[in-house]
Amino acid sequence: MPIHEKSLIRPENLREQENLVIEGMDVSGHWSTFIESRAVTDYNEALQEEIAALPGGENIHRCWQCGSCTNACTVNAVNPEFNPRYWIYLIRLGMEDELLRDKDIIWQCVSCNKCTYACPRDVVPEGVMKATAHWLELKGHTPKSPSMLFDEVFAGQVIKTGRIEDGLVLRDFFKRTGQPLNQPWLVAMVLGLVKRFPLAYLIKLGIATIRPDRTRGWGRARDAINEYAEEVEAQNRKALGLGAKGAK
Amino acid sequence: MSEPILIVGGGPAGLSAAHAAASAGRKVILVEKEDRLGGAPILSGYARLVPSHEWAADAIGAMVKRVVENPNVEVRLNTQVQAFSGEPGAFTATLKDGGNISAASTILTTGFTHFDSVNKPEWGFGTYPDVVTTTQVEQMISSGRGVRCPSDGRKPDRVAILLCVGSRDRQIGREWCSKICCTVSSNLAMEIREELPNSNVYIYYMDIRTFGLYEGEFYWGSQEEYKVKYIKARIAEVTSDGKRLLVKGEDTLVKRPISIPFDMVVHAVGMDPNVDNMTLSSVFGVDLNKYGYIGRANTYTTLCQTSRPGVFVAGAASGPETIDDSIAQGSAAAIAALNFAAGAVSAAAE
Ligand SMILES: Cc1cc2nc3c(=O)[nH]c(=O)nc-3n(C[C@H](O)[C@H](O)[C@H](O)COP(=O)(O)OP(=O)(O)OC[C@H]3O[C@@H](n4cnc5c(N)ncnc54)[C@H](O)[C@@H]3O)c2cc1C
Ligand code: SF4
Ligand code: SF4
Ligand code: SF4
Repeated sequence: MPIHEKSLIRPENLREQENLVIEGMDVSGHWSTFIESRAVTDYNEALQEEIAALPGGENIHRCWQCGSCTNACTVNAVNPEFNPRYWIYLIRLGMEDELLRDKDIIWQCVSCNKCTYACPRDVVPEGVMKATAHWLELKGHTPKSPSMLFDEVFAGQVIKTGRIEDGLVLRDFFKRTGQPLNQPWLVAMVLGLVKRFPLAYLIKLGIATIRPDRTRGWGRARDAINEYAEEVEAQNRKALGLGAKGAK
Repeated sequence: MSEPILIVGGGPAGLSAAHAAASAGRKVILVEKEDRLGGAPILSGYARLVPSHEWAADAIGAMVKRVVENPNVEVRLNTQVQAFSGEPGAFTATLKDGGNISAASTILTTGFTHFDSVNKPEWGFGTYPDVVTTTQVEQMISSGRGVRCPSDGRKPDRVAILLCVGSRDRQIGREWCSKICCTVSSNLAMEIREELPNSNVYIYYMDIRTFGLYEGEFYWGSQEEYKVKYIKARIAEVTSDGKRLLVKGEDTLVKRPISIPFDMVVHAVGMDPNVDNMTLSSVFGVDLNKYGYIGRANTYTTLCQTSRPGVFVAGAASGPETIDDSIAQGSAAAIAALNFAAGAVSAAAE
C-alpha cells in the first residue's frame, strides 16, 4: 500500500525501491514507499505463566481488558504510551516482541496502586507491572531499574544489620545509580536539620552514619532471611526457565 | 381440597405463578409488600419493554388484571410474611398486618433491588444532576415528559450510556452480569434517538451481551438504523467543566485516553439481590447462594426448588433474569408447587 504519512509508521517497516519503473512510470525513491504489514507471526504460550509465577503477577489471567487501570494510572496521565492494560493483553496472548518494544518504560510504574483500586477484576495491575519489570530484568532485557536498586540497597541493609540508617541508604543508592551526593534538595534538607536539631542529637546522628548500629543477636534472623530470599530468587528463575543462580 | 399455594411477591414471576396455579383450579394467596402489583416494571415505571416494544403498563398491566380477576386468587397488598413454620403440605405463614395463612407450598418471587449508583461515586451519580440511571430514563419516557437534562430541562445533545454499573465489578462485590442491561440500553438509545433525532448517543461497553435474538434487533438495529455508537471503554470518572459533563477513560481499541463532553450520562444499573433476602432467608429457612440471591437446590429436575422442601423460587429472586424468563420460571414453579402439594396430600391419605 502506498502511503503518505510516514511519521505514523515504524521505520523498520518502511520499504522503498531506489529504482523502480512500473508500466513505464518512474516510481523510484519515495514514490515507491510501501509498508511491510505488521503481522503477528507467533504467540509465546509461556509468557503469561512466567509473569504469573513472579510475585504480583498471580492474577493476570483475570483481566478482561476494560482499561480502568490505564485510565486511572498516574504515569499514563503523563505518558500515554505507559499502558498497563495493553501490556497485560500482550502478555496474556504471548506477544513478546510487542512487549519488548516498551521495555524501557514499563519499569516507570510508581506503585501508586490507583489501578489496583480501579480494577473490577482484582487483577492488581500494580503487581503485574512489578512482575513484568522483574521479568524483563531476569531475562536480561533491561538493566536493574532505579526502584529495584533502591529496594536492594534498603533490603540489603536491613538484612545485614537488622536496622535502617536513612543516610546510608541514600548514599548507597546514589552510588549505585551513579548520582552525585550533593543534590540541591538533599543539601537544603541537611542544612535545615543542622540548624534546627539539638547538638547532642546531631552528634548521635553523625556517629550512627559513620558506624551504623546493629540489632543485637541479629545473625540468626539474617541467615534465615537470606536463605528465604535465595529460595524465592531460585524459584523465580526456575519459573522463567533460567539457571538457578543469576549474575548477582 | 388441599391448602392454597402462597406466593410472595407480585412481579412478573409471581403474577405468572399465580395465574398458572389458579388456572389449574388451585387457591392462591398472593402477598405483595407494596401497594400495587406488577413488580419492578410497574413500580419503577419502565417504558417500552424488551423485546416486545409493548409499554410496561400495558403488558404487565394485563398480567395484573388477569390475576386480580381470577376468583381463585386472593391478593394481600402492603404486607409481608413475618413468620413461617410447619411442614410441606401444611405450612403456616404469619403476616405483618396480622392473620395466619395456611399453605400447602410456597413460591418466593420476591425479585431484585436496583443497584444504587451512589456506590460508584467516581461516575458522578448524586454529584451531578444530569447523571441519571436507566430507570430514570425509562420514567422520563413512560411519563411522556421525554428525555430531558434534570438540571435545566434542556434536550440533551450528547448522551453517554455507561454499561455494567453495579455489575461485573469485584471492587463492590458484584461479580454477576445483570443480563438485560445491554439490551435495555440499546433499546433506550434507540428511543432517545427517535425522540431527539439530532442527539448523539454513545454506549461505553466492556462486552456486549445482547444475547440470542436480541443481537439483530437491538445491537445491530441500534447501530444500523439509529446510528448509536459503541465504544469499548470502561469509564474512569465523570466530572464537569461547570457547563457539561466530562467523561474520561481509555478507548481501548485505539489505545488513547478520551475526555469527552456530554449533556447527560446514563448508568445502566444492574440487578442486585433483593435487600430483603437476608430476612427472607431466615423467615422461610432457605439458603442464599454465594452472591446473595435465593439459592436453587437443583438445576435440572426441579428447576425452582430451594433448599427447603415445599418452598420454591422463581424470577429475579434467584439471580438476574429477564421478564420473559421470570414469567417462564413462574409457571414452572407453579407446576412444581402443584405437584408437590398433590404429592403431599396423597402421601397423607395413605
Ligand atoms: C432499568 C431496567 C429495565 C428493564 N427492562 C426490562 C425489559 O425491557 N425487558 C425485560 O425482559 N426485563 C427488563 N428488566 C428486568 C426486569 O425488571 C426483571 O426481569 C423482572 O422485574 C423480574 O421479575 P420478578 O417478578 O422476578 O421480580 P420483580 O419485578 O422485582 O418483582 C418482585 C416483587 O416482589 C415484591 N417483594 C419484594 N420483597 C418482598 C417481600 N419481602 N415481601 C413481599 N413482597 C416483596 C416487590 O415489591 C415486587 O413487586 C429491566 C431491569 C431494569 C433494572
Ligand atoms: S501502580 Fe503503576 S500502573 Fe498502577 S496506576 Fe500507579 S503508576 Fe499506573
Ligand atoms: S482494570 Fe483490571 S480488568 Fe481492567 S484492563 Fe486493567 S487489569 Fe484488566
Ligand atoms: S448485560 Fe451488559 S451491561 Fe448488563 S451487566 Fe451484563 S454486560 Fe454489563
